[in-house]
Amino acid sequence: MDAPWIAELRALLGPRGIVEDPTRLFPYEADGIVLLRRRPELVLLPRTTEQVSRALKILHRERVPVVARGAGTGLSGGATPVEGGVVVSLARMRDVLELDAVDRTARVQAGLVNIDLSLACSKHQLFYAPDPSSQQACTLGGNIAENSGGPHCFRYGNTTQHVLGLVIVLEDGTVLDLSEPRVDPLGYDLVGLFVGSEGMFGIATELVLKLLPKPATTETLLAIFESLDAACDATSDLIRARHEPSAIEILDKLTIQAVEASVYAAGYPKTAEAVLLLDIEGSEVEVANTVAGIEPLVRARGAIEVRTAKTELERKQLWAGRKGAFGAMGRIAPDLYVADVCVPRTKLRELVAHTTRIAREKNLKLATVFHAGDGNLHPNIAYDRRDADEVRRVLEAGDEIMHLCIEAGGSLSGEHGVGLEKMKAMEWLFTREDLATMCRVREAWDPDRRMNPGKLIPIRACLETKQAVFRPEHATGAAKARDER
Amino acid sequence: MSLADPKTLVEYTATLDCIHCGLCLRTCPTFQLTGNEASSPRGRIYLMRGVAEGQIAGDDPTYHDELEFCLVCRNCESVCPAGVRFGEMMEVARDRAANSVKRPWSEALARWIGFGLVLPNRALMRWSIDLLGFAQRSGLLRRVAPLFGARKDALLAFPAVPPKSERELLPIRTPARGEERGEVTVLEGCVMPEMFGRVNLATVETLSAIGFATRTCGSHACCGALHAHNGELDGARALAKNTIVAFEGLTSSDGVPLPVIVNSAGCGAHMKEYPRLLAEEPEWRARAQAFSKRVFDFSEFVAAHAPADWAPRVDPGTFGRVTYDDPCHLCHGQQIRKPPRELLKRVHGLQHVELPHSEQCCGSAGIYSMLRPSDSNAVFEPKLADLAETRADTLVTANPGCHMQWDMGLDRTGLDVRVVHLAEVLAEASRQARSTPTEPSKHEPAELATPRLHEPKAEVR
Repeated sequence: MDAPWIAELRALLGPRGIVEDPTRLFPYEADGIVLLRRRPELVLLPRTTEQVSRALKILHRERVPVVARGAGTGLSGGATPVEGGVVVSLARMRDVLELDAVDRTARVQAGLVNIDLSLACSKHQLFYAPDPSSQQACTLGGNIAENSGGPHCFRYGNTTQHVLGLVIVLEDGTVLDLSEPRVDPLGYDLVGLFVGSEGMFGIATELVLKLLPKPATTETLLAIFESLDAACDATSDLIRARHEPSAIEILDKLTIQAVEASVYAAGYPKTAEAVLLLDIEGSEVEVANTVAGIEPLVRARGAIEVRTAKTELERKQLWAGRKGAFGAMGRIAPDLYVADVCVPRTKLRELVAHTTRIAREKNLKLATVFHAGDGNLHPNIAYDRRDADEVRRVLEAGDEIMHLCIEAGGSLSGEHGVGLEKMKAMEWLFTREDLATMCRVREAWDPDRRMNPGKLIPIRACLETKQAVFRPEHATGAAKARDER
Repeated sequence: MSLADPKTLVEYTATLDCIHCGLCLRTCPTFQLTGNEASSPRGRIYLMRGVAEGQIAGDDPTYHDELEFCLVCRNCESVCPAGVRFGEMMEVARDRAANSVKRPWSEALARWIGFGLVLPNRALMRWSIDLLGFAQRSGLLRRVAPLFGARKDALLAFPAVPPKSERELLPIRTPARGEERGEVTVLEGCVMPEMFGRVNLATVETLSAIGFATRTCGSHACCGALHAHNGELDGARALAKNTIVAFEGLTSSDGVPLPVIVNSAGCGAHMKEYPRLLAEEPEWRARAQAFSKRVFDFSEFVAAHAPADWAPRVDPGTFGRVTYDDPCHLCHGQQIRKPPRELLKRVHGLQHVELPHSEQCCGSAGIYSMLRPSDSNAVFEPKLADLAETRADTLVTANPGCHMQWDMGLDRTGLDVRVVHLAEVLAEASRQARSTPTEPSKHEPAELATPRLHEPKAEVR
């Protein structure tokens, strides 16, 4: 391609701000889900909001589709390039612009890596709460696009609860500054609307985020179980008894084995069928009481051992092990399909039984990790993308799991977003009216549907919106079932 | 060769270990520099897989540029949950790439001279460094440097060749001070005796102070680490075999092979990996394994074997505030992080502060600083700010490449910080402990280490 608009972008961004060489574009063809691939025409690496704005003006004029990308760690295909499209990577926009330890806010560029914000404010005894497992790599902008969660979101809530303001570049290059004033939004809560919009409303370039004081005491507790069901039951028990850990995670046996073979080996017993990993935060007394309350409960459910981390290092290792679980699965197979479904907590056990059955029927290797507190389940299926039949079975299993989840009153995604991967399942969960409303909201932001096109909302649903055809009787069984409830 | 199966151009099965999680991105110096996926470990593995699966040509110049842009610092290996052995993959990919592209004649000649002749040959190395020293002192270097194009500045910035008196080889045998607790051999190395003879001496002196007699390995010079890192695997294998043979002859009086102490992190990391390098040659496998088990980094050995009553101490003015910069091939290549710090903390009177981001590469990366000087400087730059933040007077390292990189970088910016090898600190501290015993006792000979009176208080931040 050597169109004049590319020359314009080149002049705007400089030689290191634009990737044109097909070989260098090649690794951009996928994000964290390598099953979905398409090589972009160009990748832009701007450094400032101004550059993003000017680049988007050019792309608007030329009607070029745009896909924003953070670190490319997303697992739903949110950053998978689209046909004829340009990728705008925020990887070089990673400055902390302001840090106010008294107001407890930070203004950062969207490409800042999640963990780097917590490191930057650590000396003020503050931290940024949402902690996706990929926090060592994923960008805060990407977290906003997907409304990411993380183990500690059980207590602190997902990303949306921590965003105070945004600077957004709209599809035509207009800069929308929603970063001041930093109080409850007046008028429509555009920031709230933007979080979780999966790159379809514009590109957030600067974020104003809420920082929290580090808890006075944190105790990490590891309970070891001989059955996965028991670990699920224990979770419900301790919530029923109103013990409030800040994170409740479960790892199954295969996951434990993969982690223990890696650099993140945390000392989880390799023979255990499941471990329950809890963080308990608060004042010293509070924490001691909660731990004392939890221990007998988990033992009653059959925990064969309950340990607390003796040192800060051990505590960190227990968590690093959990967070390295996805990557550690690389030891088991070349690729990993990470399903991300949510059910009411009390249904966890039921869903686990189903996923295990499905994997067995389809002869797939399944390892499960849960953000159990949120009822968020990640059945991880190891596969090899070179094996077409295995890929087919993996995708079928993914669909079945999503169906079961909807039947159990759950949702399609806990934190990874819909992207390309779960797009068709949107029709299983939502009625035409639901989807049509989403389409209209989207078109208010992006009338040409040029931002991250072809994701999240099935195209059919959007086309039908145009014709204003609403036929509720066509809604699928699952959606009806939901309506009836 | 050019028509070979593309799967042989890279370690194809190893590329499949990468699950694309991205945890490596943030640690990678070239990704930090560019934000470009292709310049990250994950991206480079993706490219390698693309080559193996026929989507990228084996002689694609961009692919080759990305291979050479990598510093092979192996920081990514320290964080990779899937245990991808990235350094090894790079060595193989570079080696195959060397066979599939034609280098410009000047570069091919320079590589042939450097890898084939100078590095493995002590006399030629000495002569080359003599020549460099002469060129530096006479001003000749300034005149010829422009002939080297982009490498001109790197050449001019090369640290001054030390005086002849500091370029002595080690004695064949150095006795232990006091009672001999054991015997070891020391790798003298190729560049070390010429540029860092004082570090070799300090290494032997420290080992002697903790009760170990040391021996050297005669004419043996090069372990082949630079060859392997730069895609000269055939040369690396030949030198590995040489090294194994040379050190097999060094045994204790009752025939037990002696430990091999290495004060250069890059060499140590490489020598520990000989079994992998020679894996395809069954007749060498057992010998390589036996040899690599004998290899210890200097800090690793001293921390494990120093007697409890060894009490190194320095006058606070000697080194001032010190900070330690982890050489990549020590912390990432050998996963050795604690021993150097433990040893510094053990030196009474030394004020030790942690260097922020000490595990980030300094940009030296073997001969990278010569091959890609501007990238090397760009990688180095943030290290300077980190160093300034510590307000240290002395920077401690444990690898000659890093040592020179710091020397050159500090020279450029005029920051008044002295660069020393860990062995130099310990040797000086042993010396001062002997000359000014804290509590001289009549029955104790002065050259024996004095018992430590109290734990040194290291500053912990």
